[in-house]
Amino acid sequence: MKLIGLVFGISFSTLLMSQQGGFFIGLISRAANVISDAREATIWVMDPQTETVEGPTNMRATELLRVRGVEGVLWAVPLVRASGAIRTAEGRSTTASFIGVDDASLVGMTGRFIAGAPEDLRSPDAIAIDQLGFARLWPGEPLATGKVLEVNDRRAVIAAITDAAPGFAAPVVVYTRLSQALVYVPGGRNTLSFVLVRNVPESDAATVARRISETTGLRALTSQAFERATIDYVLANTGIAFSFGVVIALGAVVGILVCGLTFTLFVNDNIRQFAVLKAIGVSNGRILGMVASQAIVVAFIGYSIGIWLSSAFFDGVNQPLSDLKGFWLPWQVAALSAAAVLAIVLLATVVSLRRVFALDPAITFRG
Amino acid sequence: MVARGICKRFGRGATSEIVLNRTDFDARAGEMTFLVGPSGCGKTTLISILSAMLRADEGDATVFGADLKTLSGRALSRFRGETVGFVFQQFNLLPALDAAENAAVPLIVHGMATGRARRRASELLDRLGLAESLKKFPHELSGGQQQRVAIARALVHDPKLIVCDEPTASLDGASGHAVMNILRTLAVRPDRAAIIVTHDDRIFQFADRIAFMADGRVVRTEKRPFEEMH
Repeated sequence: MKLIGLVFGISFSTLLMSQQGGFFIGLISRAANVISDAREATIWVMDPQTETVEGPTNMRATELLRVRGVEGVLWAVPLVRASGAIRTAEGRSTTASFIGVDDASLVGMTGRFIAGAPEDLRSPDAIAIDQLGFARLWPGEPLATGKVLEVNDRRAVIAAITDAAPGFAAPVVVYTRLSQALVYVPGGRNTLSFVLVRNVPESDAATVARRISETTGLRALTSQAFERATIDYVLANTGIAFSFGVVIALGAVVGILVCGLTFTLFVNDNIRQFAVLKAIGVSNGRILGMVASQAIVVAFIGYSIGIWLSSAFFDGVNQPLSDLKGFWLPWQVAALSAAAVLAIVLLATVVSLRRVFALDPAITFRG
Repeated sequence: MVARGICKRFGRGATSEIVLNRTDFDARAGEMTFLVGPSGCGKTTLISILSAMLRADEGDATVFGADLKTLSGRALSRFRGETVGFVFQQFNLLPALDAAENAAVPLIVHGMATGRARRRASELLDRLGLAESLKKFPHELSGGQQQRVAIARALVHDPKLIVCDEPTASLDGASGHAVMNILRTLAVRPDRAAIIVTHDDRIFQFADRIAFMADGRVVRTEKRPFEEMH
């Protein structure tokens, strides 16, 4: 019974730590998905007040020309990002992240298309919606282009369906041409959220980004640096890290309590056997090794069950039409959970064996 | 085995109790020495010190050339493992192990391969009449059988000192007699000493020497040549 309790405790602790760890990584990764989906760009240029890709401060359109004039820039294209409401003729609606990409090059769009192609966005009123958005607006219906809907009371036609990575604030992502995006979400005088840049092949992206900043006074970061900065901003300015940290710590505490209590009960129940072992010459170190090796076997079984449950959960929820699309169990989270479980059982072993270490083997002579 | 001026006190201050009070004790290889006396006279404490489980507060104990006072905790542990075999009143077999595994424990914990240790333990259990019970667990054995397994565990690593604490107290008369016969046959050798702590005067006939204790001291020792009793 104690063994079952111990395995259950370790499994539950592993499940809690790895599932919440995976959730945390998945959630903060969403904040930078738009950046990682725009693979052609190596540098993102933005207003100095812009902190993340999710909440840009728009710039004047003329900034694009200034960026194009900087040495080391191979090409530079505009990108606008805003939020808007979509509504179908049947009355279903959802909020979406709108990404308007350069009319000519269509740079900045995801490369993963399920139906249609990037070129289809050149048609009038054309938008590309991700399959999650389609499923929300037309639940149960097969994916199909040609459907008409309203975006902020303007007509739009689904010309393509993408497999874009979900956004952070609004999981549904809609791509359209920049000119079309400005119709759907007017930006006033300032109509430019970002300038996407590719540096010339023989140059270093970080150097070119620095040069753009120095020349234009705008904020310019390499794609990787902007991803990191976006995630850092989300971590620093939301309660996400604290909330998940509390739950993960709770998982570790549950593991420590269950293991500690069970091991202590085990030691108390077998105190006489430990005394016999000490009487016949087994050292404290050897006893620690014996119990620790058993504890590691139990930990392995419990961890295996817990991590299997966790990965099964993520396999179940990480589906194209799921709201939890894009959530997965990174191997680093699994490895950290394993290390935490190992530390928990070893700590519990050492703490519970303190009584054995101090045990007088002469108690074996008492009846 | 020579012990001189052994003192042991338990507790501190006003509540402390002197259990051994400058007592001397001798035991010889090739003999079975009984340590007898009323409850609380210090028998168990004395054998705990002589078998390197407890340290004396004062006095010297030399066992087969080893001065126990000078040994570190780790060395005492090693000394017990190599030099002493224990038989306890409550048998103290490990419930998760079968008879052969229980008897093999001292060999396994000192590095012998499990299979070889089990074979050697099985041979000894065979001599003790337990050939049919090698794979039985302690709860499947009678009290007498459990004590024979405990004797096998005490002898299997060929120790120089056998210490038995009330080995017949948990057994009926016939089983106790049988256990003492086994101990007499297997434990007593020219290079080995056996010390038996007992209240059971029915088994005094197996002793070569009897040390009587009272109030924390060995007050009298009688030589009782074993042969004379038969």
